[in-house]
Amino acid sequence: MSVTRRFGSVVANDSIDFRAQRGTVHAIVGGNGAGKSTLMRILQGMDRPDEGVVLVDGFPTVFFGPADAFDRGIGMVHQEFMLVPGLSLLENLVLAHEPMLGLDRIDRTRALDAAHALEAQAGVTLDWDLAVEDAPVHVRQILEILRLLYRGADVLILDEPTAVLAPAQVRELIVLLRKLRDEGRTILFISHKLDEVLAVADDITVLRGGKVVGSLPAAQADKAKLAEMMIGEILARPQARPGAVGRPVLNLVSVTASDSRGRAGLSGFDLTVHAGEIVGIAGVAGNGQDELVAAVTGLSRTDCGSIRLGDVDVTRLSLRERRALGLAFLSPDRAGEGLCLQATIAENTISGHHRRDEFSAGGTLKRGVIARHVEALLDRYAVKRGSSTLPAASLSGGNQQRVAVARELYGNPNILVACQPTRGVDIRGIAFIHQCLLDYRDRGGAVLLVSEELDELVTLSDRIIVIYDGRVTGEVRRGSAEIDEIGRMMLGQAAA
Amino acid sequence: MSAVVAPPSTSGWATAVLPFVLALVAAGIVLAVAGHNPFDVYRLLAVESFGGTKRIAATLSAATPLILTGLATAVAFRAGAFNVGVEGCVYIGGLAAAYVGFTFVDLPAPVLIPLALAAGFVAGSLWMLVPGVLKARLDVDEVVTTLMLNFIAISFTAYLVNGPLLAPGSANSATPMVVDAARLPRLMPPSTLNIGFLIAMALLALYWLWSNRTALGFETRIAGMNARFASASGINVPSLVIKMMLLSGAIGGLAGAIHALGSVGRFVAGFSPGYGFTGIAVALLGRGTPVGIFLAAILFGALATSGATIQLFSDVPIEIVNILQGMVMIFAVARFGWIFARRRTAA
Repeated sequence: MSVTRRFGSVVANDSIDFRAQRGTVHAIVGGNGAGKSTLMRILQGMDRPDEGVVLVDGFPTVFFGPADAFDRGIGMVHQEFMLVPGLSLLENLVLAHEPMLGLDRIDRTRALDAAHALEAQAGVTLDWDLAVEDAPVHVRQILEILRLLYRGADVLILDEPTAVLAPAQVRELIVLLRKLRDEGRTILFISHKLDEVLAVADDITVLRGGKVVGSLPAAQADKAKLAEMMIGEILARPQARPGAVGRPVLNLVSVTASDSRGRAGLSGFDLTVHAGEIVGIAGVAGNGQDELVAAVTGLSRTDCGSIRLGDVDVTRLSLRERRALGLAFLSPDRAGEGLCLQATIAENTISGHHRRDEFSAGGTLKRGVIARHVEALLDRYAVKRGSSTLPAASLSGGNQQRVAVARELYGNPNILVACQPTRGVDIRGIAFIHQCLLDYRDRGGAVLLVSEELDELVTLSDRIIVIYDGRVTGEVRRGSAEIDEIGRMMLGQAAA
Repeated sequence: MSAVVAPPSTSGWATAVLPFVLALVAAGIVLAVAGHNPFDVYRLLAVESFGGTKRIAATLSAATPLILTGLATAVAFRAGAFNVGVEGCVYIGGLAAAYVGFTFVDLPAPVLIPLALAAGFVAGSLWMLVPGVLKARLDVDEVVTTLMLNFIAISFTAYLVNGPLLAPGSANSATPMVVDAARLPRLMPPSTLNIGFLIAMALLALYWLWSNRTALGFETRIAGMNARFASASGINVPSLVIKMMLLSGAIGGLAGAIHALGSVGRFVAGFSPGYGFTGIAVALLGRGTPVGIFLAAILFGALATSGATIQLFSDVPIEIVNILQGMVMIFAVARFGWIFARRRTAA
């Protein structure tokens, strides 16, 4: 297949070209934003390519939706399981394709026969009467896979299937996938966990920035080589910078936090950010970055440990209270959290600052002052706009992010938590935003920079903290030769 | 400068008027099928609602509670809360105001009227406390809680006026009449139009000021559009939702108080002909703007007053007017999908 998919100016898949052989496990690896999800959405018919075609058994194929893809033998197990709570495992297995007894009853005997046949085929045993919500997570996943088999899927797409599994269950899953492969099925295995990829895959395709970096047989791959392909060559070679750092403005002491699934996201995490430095957080997505941001901003509660902003213990404070203490937060989710796209550009620029004395008195907004402030600020950040009264959605992605940066840096915060500050931003916008962050740092500001763009981290950071599995695995100073070791540290290996 | 805090330009008058036009067309077809000339009926409706000072006064009088219930609903919508419990607040507020009106009989009007109105205001507000807190703190769906509270309010007030608060010697389920000092002064006797209308208009003006000029109005608007963004910018969304639910209930209670003191003179079982529910249609049809709410309330008020008299002067049955009213509501509520889409992104 060879497909291209653009979203506005962002090319999510740029001439993706790869071939999965029947009867193999083909792994697709890449960081967040590499284009894996878009590719899978195309294979599921939830999205159409702008250019290029998908060939199934040599025939050009357009999928009209997941059901259509299914009819052509392609089924997918999503990260979030698609099971109906309240129904038993057996009922979920046969859902929508129930063997019927008469017109209104499920033929339980036949359903159970089919279930046992699948069990034997897959070499597993399940308690079919268990309600889905009582089944452990790995059982639910096996059920999802068996359901694809029940409905006759020939090509199985598994999206990050090990994200929810314990190590022993991962090994079971790998055994199951190999068995299915040996029966002639094709499996697309999407992951960024290289150990598992190497353990299960026959062939590996690496995506980065929407492009195929390379395809190679697993036998010729090793972790270091894959990591290099995933991360890319680090081009930036910044000069070391005199460590003119000031007082600590953010201090985390042995912070432990759970992720949304209740598993450990951060374990005993220590971090200090000083005034006048940019501290970058490097790591493969899903290794604790989200939990770190949630802990520092107060968007979710931590389990233990303490967080201080300056001299104040903010562990139990909300984001609102932390903002009052000089925290600024540039959200990674620009459309959902960083901006309110239906609100006007002006409203987006002032929101959060509108209660300052300069902008309101006695609860009444000083509209003239606000309007002048908004125009001046947007001009300073060179936001290309028709009028500030248009919805923020009318701006291009790069200009939207400029609005968010302008708002967050206004009022001289003590520390800025910047997450994926240039995601989906054009090249000029990236350079501009980088300069904003550097200027802010030079004025004595502190930045905690979380990014999946390693080049960005290297370019901007005075120190890079590398995290893996919720722990710090290394720290690299600006200009140090250890920069080449970051890739290894991101995979949980100590620097050589 | 209107740069900040002005609602983004909506698609203009065309879409605002569209539900009404569609309803007229659809009801016209119904009329024609039933053997009436739709144009004659519509002209009669217009004359009955707006032909002359008395008719206009009657229409404004009928619109008064709808302005208030529409406003009550709109205030909650702004914060992203779909409050369908204004009807219950009308009952609770109406009973509270009537109670004050027939209990503190010795107070002079300048004291008694504000006191009775305040009673309705506070009672309606408290009625929305529980659903507000449940939504803000535990994410309990306010549509369910407020809808159910309506039935409790209607039955609870019916119980009170059948038992503890039943007028002595009265057989029907009603409280004693409020004293004359508690009756709202009429603007154009003998029309029932009273100062309640002026209060409603004043509240509409305040609503405009609040939503366009105040920090709280701004925060409410932002939180209603995108709660995650609002929280991330440091707005206390749960507290805002509670405040707006309380305000919504308070305005609903005031609508009941004005209805009790202005029109009915007491509280009776079956007190409100669905003012709270019509208020939802008014808020939707009026797109939550002060002018829109006013016009939508006038429209429904006109349909209510002309419907009562039209069957006296023509062979058009009142059911036709009810059908017309229902159709405007359906077309107004066709905007539901938009509101709910917004709620989903906010969640």
